[in-house]
Amino acid sequence: MLGRGLKRKLSDYEENMAGLSSAFDSSRSLPYPLKRQLVLNMCLTKLQTYKMLVEPNLHRSVLIANTVRQIQEEMRQESNQQPVNICPGIAPSSHSYTGMESSGISLQLPSGISQQESSCCDLRSVEDPIENSLLIVSDDDMSSAISSILKDLDFVEDISPPTCLVPTGDDQPKFLESTGLKLEDDRQDLKGAECVFGSFEISNSTSYLKDLAIDDIFEDIDTSMYDSDFSCPPLMPPRSPSLAAEEPLKNFPSCNSSSASNIQICRTDLSELDHIMEILVGS
Amino acid sequence: FLGAGGGNDIQWCFSQVKGAVDDDVAEADIISTVEFNHSGELLATGDKGGRVVIFQQEQENKTQSHSRGEYNVYSTFQSHEPEFDYLKSLEIEEKINKIRWLPQKNAAQFLLSTNDKTIKLWKISERDKRPEGYNLKEEDGRYRDPTTVTTLRVPVFRPMDLMVEASPRRIFANAHTYHINSISINSDYETYLSADDLRINLWHLEITDRSFNIVDIKPANMEELTEVITAAEFHPNSCSTFVYSSSKGTIRLCDMRASALCDRHSKLFEEPEDPSNRSFFSEIISSISDVKFSHSGRYMMTRDYLSVKIWDLNMENRPVETYQVHEYLRSKLCSLYENDCIFDKFECCWNGLDRQVHIVMTGSYNNFFRMFDRNTKRDITLEASRENNKPRTVLKPRKVCASGKRKKDEISVDSLDFNKKILHTAWHPKENIIAVATTNNLYIFQDKMN
Repeated sequence: MLGRGLKRKLSDYEENMAGLSSAFDSSRSLPYPLKRQLVLNMCLTKLQTYKMLVEPNLHRSVLIANTVRQIQEEMRQESNQQPVNICPGIAPSSHSYTGMESSGISLQLPSGISQQESSCCDLRSVEDPIENSLLIVSDDDMSSAISSILKDLDFVEDISPPTCLVPTGDDQPKFLESTGLKLEDDRQDLKGAECVFGSFEISNSTSYLKDLAIDDIFEDIDTSMYDSDFSCPPLMPPRSPSLAAEEPLKNFPSCNSSSASNIQICRTDLSELDHIMEILVGS
Repeated sequence: FLGAGGGNDIQWCFSQVKGAVDDDVAEADIISTVEFNHSGELLATGDKGGRVVIFQQEQENKTQSHSRGEYNVYSTFQSHEPEFDYLKSLEIEEKINKIRWLPQKNAAQFLLSTNDKTIKLWKISERDKRPEGYNLKEEDGRYRDPTTVTTLRVPVFRPMDLMVEASPRRIFANAHTYHINSISINSDYETYLSADDLRINLWHLEITDRSFNIVDIKPANMEELTEVITAAEFHPNSCSTFVYSSSKGTIRLCDMRASALCDRHSKLFEEPEDPSNRSFFSEIISSISDVKFSHSGRYMMTRDYLSVKIWDLNMENRPVETYQVHEYLRSKLCSLYENDCIFDKFECCWNGLDRQVHIVMTGSYNNFFRMFDRNTKRDITLEASRENNKPRTVLKPRKVCASGKRKKDEISVDSLDFNKKILHTAWHPKENIIAVATTNNLYIFQDKMN
């Protein structure tokens, strides 16, 4: 019988997320961009989980998508105002947008902390400026992630269904093509039997949905905080951190120019972030 | 705060608790809605298992004038069953989202109950007599041999043990693509509305095969969706007026006389955001989970995650009153987001029809519930727990310690149990009797009668 959704089992991942969110709530010294990145990651995790449900909750999905858009907009404004990176040690007040180059900074963790300790923070070598700049989540990819989720919600609700949103392949172009079809069907709005059977026919070749690899949609998004060790729902193919680093590389050639200045920033920030990470990992 | 002993303040006492004592809660027993009927004599609950349980108040016992009648089980029936939508490969939950009573017109009682997709009109009727003395049938139903019939008699009604029967009289199905969150009966008592995330439909109680779509906020392109409908209600007196609330904290008032599709509101109620309280979660906590008109129809109340707001229908740009339900949670929003508690949908209710008293009530965590007196501006926090179950003993007010040194009898925010949430409360329409639902128990409290 098709279940209502996948049960999230309590895992190391969840415990670590709980630790991070209470750190968010209680710590005043957490820099604003780090907080923002944390919230963004939580949002994307939730959206990702909802995508795997047979019937995602529309209300929650919309609220979370709006939060992602809001953060996205903020980051976009920041990068418009400040193309070059700036001084560290910003007060985490909501009014100071002269922040560091947003998420480019937030996950530069010192290589000293061992991988085993923190299962939810993927660690990058500080010495690798290219990798550092790859932690930036691109606007377009976030937008497309939100779009695809909302489109899927529509698809699930208003048109004939997938049997299951299980990603089995890497066929992203096919998915986008079929998305166009779905929108057309949606406008007919399932009034007559012919519409029902029409859309049933199209979706009968549900391969485009089975081909949907969630990872492909999210591949350009920074999932380092929760990617590595935790027991993700088994539907997602495992990805090694190095692979995750390499692929975005292809998509961010423009970031190389700013990478040099990143090194300066991350070195001066090291001790501060080091300290924060010790608190977080220790808790 | 209320209950401190002021002359006119209500002093709440435990009266009854219904439900299993077990700590291990069966999922089907989780209460999902609570509603008094128009006289207050009947109290209905719906649960996650699709059942409706109706309690009836005993007639007041003349000898026991110190307490009002107790509520005892009157009828239990399975309102909705789990369904499987084969076309969409989706299971439709049988959980009862809302129950609304119709005013009583004859001996029978009628209520509407709804799950995510289907609304049903149930007739609850009593049978306490049965005909006896048929000519051709024995009492047990067997047919008599006609040749043995020598005289004719007229069957008569004789009393029998009371039997309460519930039968579905109308089934209003297939009108909602999204999940129904509200139903509301019009003051004409002939029509009602049902609202899902994106649409609101108008039904006639007699007609099940069609409904009118009166609000549709679904964008042509779902990618543009940023707002959903969270609750809707008809005005108590004006049969062409209704309101619906949204996930962005706005309320729209619509007049059905203006056009067939009420996509353009007559009024838009929205409070500008307080910049000092801005956070990543501002929008999420502004989502309205319940909207209720006052009895007069002059005001309406909305509940969002942290507060209750009273709006004057004549003033759109801000509420006239705001009450903080659990402001101490504002600094815990990230954790509450992480564990999904931030999406909990609390309801709210007005006190019964009493021109002197104006109190609003809503639930919180740790099995606490809150009341705000609009006249005195005082508030009180009470707890629904079996430990307080001595009838006629006044409930002790609770206090949450937000920060700093915790006083004796206070509870610190970190010790609150977020699994014990009171989402559903109801107030008797005429008396000071309240029904408070914890996860799987129903508590009934009354004011102390002297």
